[in-house]
Parts: sequence; C-alpha cells; structure tokens
Amino acid sequence: METEMAYNWTTLWSNIASLFACDPSQPLMFHSGTFWCLFILFLPIYALLKRHSRAMMLAFVVAFSLLIGYKSSGWAILLLLFTTTTDWYLARRVVASTDPVKRKTLVSLSIVTSLLILGFFKYGNFVLLNWHAIVGGNFSPMDILTPLGISFYTFRSISYIVDVYKGKLKPDCTWLEYAFYLSFFPSLAAGPIARGVDFLPQVRANRVATRNEVYSGLWQVLLGVIKKAVLADYLAQYSALVFGLAAGEGVPLLVGAFAFTLQIYCDFAGYSDMAIGLGRIMGYNLGVNFDFPYRSRNVTEFWHRWHITLSTWLRDYVYIPLGGNRKGKTRQYLNLFATMLIGGLWHGAAWTFVVWGAMHGAALCIHKALMPKLKKIPDTPIVKILSGFITFIFVMVTFVVFRAESMHDCMTYLRDIFVNWDSSYFHTIVTQRSLMCVVMLVIVVTHFIPKRAYAWLECRFVAAPWIVKLVVFLAVVQLVLQFASAEVQPFIYNQF
Amino acid sequence: MKRSYIGLIALLVVALVATWAFSRNDEAASMLGLNTATFDKTLFAAATSSEQAQVPQPKGRATGDGKRSVPAPRGKKGATAASTSSVGTGNNEHYVRPANVAMDTTKKNILFIGDSMLEGLKPRLAAYAEANGHKMNAVIWYSSTTEIWGRNGAVKVREYVKKFKPDYIFISLGGNELFVSNIQEKRQQYVDAILREFGNIPYVWIGPPNWKPDTGINKMLSASCRDGSFYLSYTPDQHYDRARDGAHPTRTSAQAWMDRVCTWVVNKSSHPIRLNRPSKTTASCHTEILQPAK
Repeated sequence: METEMAYNWTTLWSNIASLFACDPSQPLMFHSGTFWCLFILFLPIYALLKRHSRAMMLAFVVAFSLLIGYKSSGWAILLLLFTTTTDWYLARRVVASTDPVKRKTLVSLSIVTSLLILGFFKYGNFVLLNWHAIVGGNFSPMDILTPLGISFYTFRSISYIVDVYKGKLKPDCTWLEYAFYLSFFPSLAAGPIARGVDFLPQVRANRVATRNEVYSGLWQVLLGVIKKAVLADYLAQYSALVFGLAAGEGVPLLVGAFAFTLQIYCDFAGYSDMAIGLGRIMGYNLGVNFDFPYRSRNVTEFWHRWHITLSTWLRDYVYIPLGGNRKGKTRQYLNLFATMLIGGLWHGAAWTFVVWGAMHGAALCIHKALMPKLKKIPDTPIVKILSGFITFIFVMVTFVVFRAESMHDCMTYLRDIFVNWDSSYFHTIVTQRSLMCVVMLVIVVTHFIPKRAYAWLECRFVAAPWIVKLVVFLAVVQLVLQFASAEVQPFIYNQF
Repeated sequence: MKRSYIGLIALLVVALVATWAFSRNDEAASMLGLNTATFDKTLFAAATSSEQAQVPQPKGRATGDGKRSVPAPRGKKGATAASTSSVGTGNNEHYVRPANVAMDTTKKNILFIGDSMLEGLKPRLAAYAEANGHKMNAVIWYSSTTEIWGRNGAVKVREYVKKFKPDYIFISLGGNELFVSNIQEKRQQYVDAILREFGNIPYVWIGPPNWKPDTGINKMLSASCRDGSFYLSYTPDQHYDRARDGAHPTRTSAQAWMDRVCTWVVNKSSHPIRLNRPSKTTASCHTEILQPAK
C-alpha cells in the first residue's frame, strides 16, 4: 500500500513537473485545463497583491507571463527581457537628449535591434532557404526555438519607442511597468497589439476591476473558448484534410476553402476574445481586435474590422511614415501595397503570406482608385448583399493562398475546384458531414446577429445569479470536451 | 480582496472540482452523456511511449506568433522508413512472380475502398483507370480500420462487392492501426473476414505509409494477403512528404505513392493489369462516403 502511494505521488509530481517543462509542441493555450488550473492559483495571489503591493503584483504577473513563455519556448523567452531592457533604456535616453540626430539614432538603434532579433528567429531560415535556392547550395534549416509572441511584443516595443520619440508618450514608466506591458500574458501569444499609450496609463492607475468587468471578462473568455476550441478546432479537422491531400473533387475543395475562412476567423477572434476577457478580468482594457469582419462590403472595410490592432499598427507605423496619402495618388498606392506586403510577411515566413499580403494590397489600391465611381452606385439592399458577397469571395480566395503549403499547391487547389466540379457532392457533404454543415451555419448566423443582441446577452450573464454563471461555465467546458472527442472529429491525426 | 474576485475564484474552483470528479468517474459521466476531461489521466497516469506517439500535433499556423506559425508536424516531412520496420517474414516480402504470369489486358471494373488515405490515392488511381479504359468506383470510410470494415462478417465489404460487382479491388487500410498492441490477436479475424468477402476477385492491399515503426499491422497484412497482393508502403526507399496533420501524405506525395503502387501492380503483383501512366494528374470517379464509425 505504501509502495503504491509512493508510486502515485511520484507519478503525480513527475506529471506536474512535465506540465511546466518546456514543450514547444504543447503551448499553454487559454482554453486548456492546465491553464485554468494555473489561473485559479494565479488569481487570488494577483488580487491580493494588487490591493497591497503594486510592485509585487507587477513582478508576480511578469514572472507568470515568463512561465507561460518558458513552457512554449524555453529560455528563449528571456530575449523578451533583453528587448524590455534595451527599449526601456533607449526610450529614456531619447527623451533626455535634445540633439535631433542623436534622438533619431537612438530610435533607429532600438527599432533595428528589435527587428534583427525578430528577423533572425522568425525569418532566418526563410532568408537562408531562398538564398541557397538562388545560389544553388545545400541548406538544412537551423533548429531555432522562437520566443513565444515575438512578433507581438516586437511590434509593441516599436510602437512604444516611436511614440516616445514623437512625444505622444512620456517614458516615465519603471522597468517593471514596461516589462509588465511587453510580457502581459493574456496578449503575449497572439495579441491584441495594445499600444503603450493606451496600456501603460492603466498599469500606473492600478485600478481594480469592478464586478461587472470581472464577469463581462468571463463572458468574453467563454465566447472566445467556444469560437476557438469548439468551432475553429472542429472545422480545422476538415480543412487540414482537404488542404493537405490530393482531394481533387471540386465541391469538397470549395467547402474546405469556406470552412477554412470561417475557421481562421473563429481561431484568431476566439483567441483575441480570450485575451481581451482575461485582461478585463484583471482590470485592463486591451481594446477590440475583431469586429464581425465578414459583414464587410469592401476590402477597406474588411481591414477596419479584421485584426484591428494589427491593421492600425501598420497604418500608424508603416503606411503613414512611408508618406501615406500625402505624396500623391501613385505614391499612396505604392505605400498601401508595401504596407500590406509587410503585413503579409508578418504573418509568417513563407511566400504564400507575401502573396496573400500582395493580393490584399492590390485590392485596397483598386478599391481606393474606384472609390469615386463606387460612391455613385445607389446603396440598395441588392448592392449591399452583392458587394458583401464579392468581398467575402475575395477574402476566401486569399485565405486559400494563406493556408496552402506552397503557391503550386494553391494553384492546384483553386484549379481543381473548377476542373473537377461535380454538384452531386453537395448532397453527399450535407448528408455525410451534417455536423460540420451545422457548425458552419451556426458561425454564419451568429456572425450576422446584431451587436445589441450580444450586448444584451452579456448584460444578462453579468446580472445572472452565481449559480447560473457556474452552469454556463460548465456547459461551455462540456461543449469543448464533446467537440474534442474522437467521435465528432472525423479527421484527427491518428484516425484517418 | 474584492468580492467579485472571490465569486469568480469560487466559480472556477467548483467547476474544476466538478470536472475533476467526473474525470475520476468515467462511468457516471457516460451514464449522463457527459464527456470527461483528462485531468486524472494527465496527473496520475504514467506516460507510455505508445500513448505519447499518438498525441495529435497542433495545427496552428499564421497567428503572427512566431511559435505557432511553424506547423509542428512538418518535422515529419520526408519521413523515412526506419530499418526497424515491423515487416519481417510476411509472405509477400519474399514473393517473386512466376515468369508465366501474363498481364490481364481486359478492361476492369475496379473498386477502391479504405480509409481517408483514399482522399489522396483515389484521384490518381481514377486517372489511371480513365486512361486505361477501366471503370472505377470508390468508397471512403473516414476513420475506418480493419475492425470497422471487418465487423459482422465484413458486411460492408459484401454490400459494396454486391453493389459494384468489381473484378479488381484496391484496398488501403491500416493507417489507423499502426500502434495497436497485440494486433494479431485483436484484428486478424477482421482482416480474414474482409479477404473472405473478396473471394476470388484479384485484389491489391496497399499497406499504410508509416511515419514510424508500427506494432505489427504491416506484418499481419503481409502474412494474410494472397502472394503478390500486398503492397508494402513502408520501406527505406519510400519517402512521403506529410500534410500538416503529420500523417497523410501531401497531394504530390500521394500521387507519387499511387504511381509506385501501379508500377508494382504491373511489374510485380500476382495479377497485373493494364495501368499505363496517364497524361492527366488526377481524375474523378463515383465515390461513396461513409461517416466515421464509433
């Protein structure tokens, strides 16, 4: 008996230790049970420290954020502290100096340092691969462990130093406050890209979340969990199959493209919702990141609704510094196109992302050029529906590029949709993949529900008795478990 | 501490305890139609290498986060067949086709059945069929295994053989059973049931394209199939790029895989049929799809 107990305790401790071990293939996601176990331990300590010692609270949250980063990227997460220190120090030097050349040099040094680190970790293999392809050498990729959220915290640090340089923000925050801002775990892995000018004042204010904010945050997290862990992950099984294989039939490929378009929205927006909700629970406002993007009636509106913190970042720190619309039409189009190319490359180190960015850049330019003529078209319901439909189709096609392994795969995929068209597959898909069709229908319908309905539901949840909230929470957990089971995932890895 | 935080912490603790309790008692949960979390297993179960081998890899791509933008399973790209392949003494490994076996040049009515590997193989075989004048039907049963096809005396095989009346069968099955322990004890009866339903119809069983050594499926299939009727897809000279799920060959690789199978059918199988290389890359054929079975 004693031996058995000892064995169980040994196993338990060994398994708990393995949960904290660095494992890049198992990042700590906000919808995982492990994260919520940790969050239950985190929250009371955070709440106590917030009230009694702000500095301790900041240090505690930074340590917790680094732990989450370590789990995914090992000691590489310490680079975050390096970026924190250099940017924080250089920002103070920028303000201390009155020499314009020195100020510019310091800002450039900060930006170049951040971009070099990002470039090495995220694009090092990509650059070398293409270089070797040009010169004809053999290339084996470097085994690089990328720090968690490097793209996000790099953009945050650049916005900070630029805002300090432009005088929009005073660099009067302490190192700890700045480390808190860059490493803030809810937005570390996948955004939103909160600006220092918005976030740092909240850190200084150290305001405790109200009851309404805590439960409104929980509501937002639950919505995010449903989008990410239920809807997106379910559809991912199908899109992974059709994008990965020689599935030459037109209708399944078209449905796969549609499913991926819905999946990627639920994935991105779901994770953003969870981050925003967790931030709100902790008393911080991270802004809005997705605003029902598939309601857009043109590609410009799409970028006002899709990944808003990224698109506004690109506007403020790339497009406007390039000249924006201040240097004539041709230059404006070039700036727009270049900005979207950078935006595409930011998403990942592959030519497909560059092409994806280029397609959106070209579409934005065309839309800008046609704007005077488009404004003359009467705004009838049919025009609204048609423009929305065209925009959605365009976005869907670009997401095929985004998702494909290579441009060759992408072209094959798009070609097969038309070449191997057989309408009878619609019936097969509806009858044989009925749950998937229901999931897609749910996403489409909920996407077009008026915002006031969501606001009403949120109010009802916040005002509901504690027991009702518990039931809703458990229902969402059960929904996630149901959808995560093998029976409803037709294409999981070990079940072809 | 603020009351709202106390309320939220209490809610999370109760939810955790409830979920934990269900994870400790699977039977009660299943009676209520509930699924349980894996807390208990995660914390108290000793990890085994076979379980770890089957952990699904995350599918994430392109969140802008450097970590998740790299598709994890791509490490399996070009997965090679290890020298520790489970195939040892299967009769097909040593089969040498007698010199007097001539090619069957008649037009065939081909039936191609199996698991989701058909998504990749079927369009290419359909192109071969079309180019060589054969007729072809396919049945894809997602997530299927030899057990699922072989249940109740392989009733589904019988049904489709009766329906399509094939005179040549291709079957691709076994990819979902690479890591089943004591496989012969558990699955031999189902493989035998499937083969019984084929009767005298010539067939080719396309073995699964392992990405690592299996626990005996290839060996069992090789030993069970007629001489010259089992194609071993897991040999040191076969390299298949994997799709993002880490298991299925990519479009291009699946086509190359089917090309190898067809070359083998023509040159080495016990019943060669006409399968000249088609000019089209892929083609379509009548296909029936079955739901994943529980």
